[in-house]
Amino acid sequence: MISVTHLSKKYGKFAAVDDLSFEVEDGEVLGFLGPNGAGKTTTMRMITGFLPASGGRVRIGGFDLYTDPVPAKQRLGYLPENPPLYPEMTVRRYLRFVAELKDVPAGKTKSAVGLAIERARLGEVADKRISKLSKGFRQRVGLAQAIVHEPPLLVLDEPTSSLDPKQRFEVRELIAELKGKHTVVLSTHILPEVSEVADRVVIINRGRIMAVDTPSRLSERLRGAESVRLELAAAGVAGDVLRAQVTEALRQMAGVSAVDVDLADGGTVHARVQSEVGVDLRAEAAAVVVGRGWRLLALSAEALSLEDIFLKLTSDEHQEGA
Amino acid sequence: MRHALAIARREIESYFVSPIAYAVLTIFTFVSGLFFSNMLVYYIRQSALADSMVQKYGYSDYQLDVPTVVLAQFFQNEAFMLMLAVPLLTMGLITDERRKGTLELLVTSPVRGGEIVAGKFLGAFGFLCLMMLPILPMFAFMGQGGAWEPGVIASGMMGLLLLGGAQIALGLFISSLCENVLVSAIGTYGVLITMQFIDTTTSSTQSYWITILGYFSFYMRQVNSTRGVVSLTDLAYFASYITLGLFLAQRSVEAIRFKRT
Ligand SMILES: Nc1ncnc2c1ncn2[C@@H]1O[C@H](COP(=O)(O)OP(=O)(O)O)[C@@H](O)[C@H]1O
Ligand SMILES: [Mg+2]
Repeated sequence: MISVTHLSKKYGKFAAVDDLSFEVEDGEVLGFLGPNGAGKTTTMRMITGFLPASGGRVRIGGFDLYTDPVPAKQRLGYLPENPPLYPEMTVRRYLRFVAELKDVPAGKTKSAVGLAIERARLGEVADKRISKLSKGFRQRVGLAQAIVHEPPLLVLDEPTSSLDPKQRFEVRELIAELKGKHTVVLSTHILPEVSEVADRVVIINRGRIMAVDTPSRLSERLRGAESVRLELAAAGVAGDVLRAQVTEALRQMAGVSAVDVDLADGGTVHARVQSEVGVDLRAEAAAVVVGRGWRLLALSAEALSLEDIFLKLTSDEHQEGA
Repeated sequence: MRHALAIARREIESYFVSPIAYAVLTIFTFVSGLFFSNMLVYYIRQSALADSMVQKYGYSDYQLDVPTVVLAQFFQNEAFMLMLAVPLLTMGLITDERRKGTLELLVTSPVRGGEIVAGKFLGAFGFLCLMMLPILPMFAFMGQGGAWEPGVIASGMMGLLLLGGAQIALGLFISSLCENVLVSAIGTYGVLITMQFIDTTTSSTQSYWITILGYFSFYMRQVNSTRGVVSLTDLAYFASYITLGLFLAQRSVEAIRFKRT
């Protein structure tokens, strides 16, 4: 449905998007995951023809977006980061205007608008001015304008980022309903959001693709990226000696990237074991401790923040470009 | 064309919920009425004067030249009002779409840059036509007094519309360059006032290049139209301004590089 090859955007010397390539099959939902400033919005704007690219190509439904923009854009529905609304218009009037822009045939405009209102659950506010609507409703109007011409491809840029939890839930439900009817490219900086709906996730940071995977495999890999904290003690071993032994024992596990060991009061030892992406060390670490005859007082997995995960993906050589 | 008309219609609708557009409409109509009654009073005085001369001396050497003096003055006053009104109507044309993020909708729709610009132009021009509408009943009212030249009135109105069209096209281009409506309005005032200034200079100074600059001025052309004819060259002149403004605006809309939002 959409194919992106070697897309990049430079602002002066700074590459906001750097040599991005990916493809989305018909009916697929692609999640575009990255922290703030990763280049998600810049990418969305380039694949919708709003922002000219510094290099690369975008094809939508077989039409080149830059040399053949009209048929390419007819196949596209786009919800930008800030929904593009005219506050003085009523919802219905606004959607009619959008339908005209999107080449919905004159005779079908009314029914197309009615259907979009229904699908975005806007019935109760259809004849209200957009300026009078809450943020959640405005976002739904934004969704309605993206689907009013029933485009095969939908591009949604952080559709839930500015909403409160209840509104977020509602908009997520609507997006889940879009699945199957449209091919969707959805950007977000919230991991659970893509794992719910996406068939495939592209992780992007500093303008580059860090990883492409299915949500389940990705969650697995990211779970492995959690670090393990241990608290242990050993009878009759001096603190310094114990510290050295623990460090050495834990280092020997496969996949360990760093081990910090501190002495605490009362002769206990605190250890933090960081592993490479895709490695879960909890069970093995426990086995090592017990195997050495130490007493395991506590073990916990520490979740990395999304930022940490991206840092990790960036620092490791885990670049699996599409 | 359907796209352009849809955009024009939306634009006109948005004028009708904008306090600024309402103020422009009201003030323009009010001041037009003022100019008009001034013209009427002047005409009545002058014809009374001529009458009394005829009664006293049996003849009058006072020729009351209604078409070229009275009407011309009225149309020139109106042209001045247009210069004040148009920047307020064009300042937001593209600037507002950028500010609200709706340009993102227009540009990612299967709509060409030329259609966006044509729609915007038609919207503002449509509103301008509505603004001029109240002038017509005034003339109808005057028509009963006789001695009013329909030819001059028609060409004068046409001159105003052409002038307004050219002003709108330039304002539209300036609006496409600006991210702030105030800057857009001030820029447009600057350009339109410069047009007037070039003209004034031409008539008082005899420098070669100023004469050349004078060829670009709106106002001489518009003054021509108050004399009962809109010549083909005048028409071509205004048409080129409109084309130029629309062309530049289209290039600018298509080339817009967005700043950080
Ligand atoms: N007009 C611009 N000029 C310079 N830098 C920009 C511009 N727009 C975006 N950037 C930079 O490009 C990077 C990517 O931005 P963006 O695509 O908005 O990220 P995201 O949507 O993932 O949060 C950021 O570092 C941002 O500061
Ligand atoms: Mg963004």
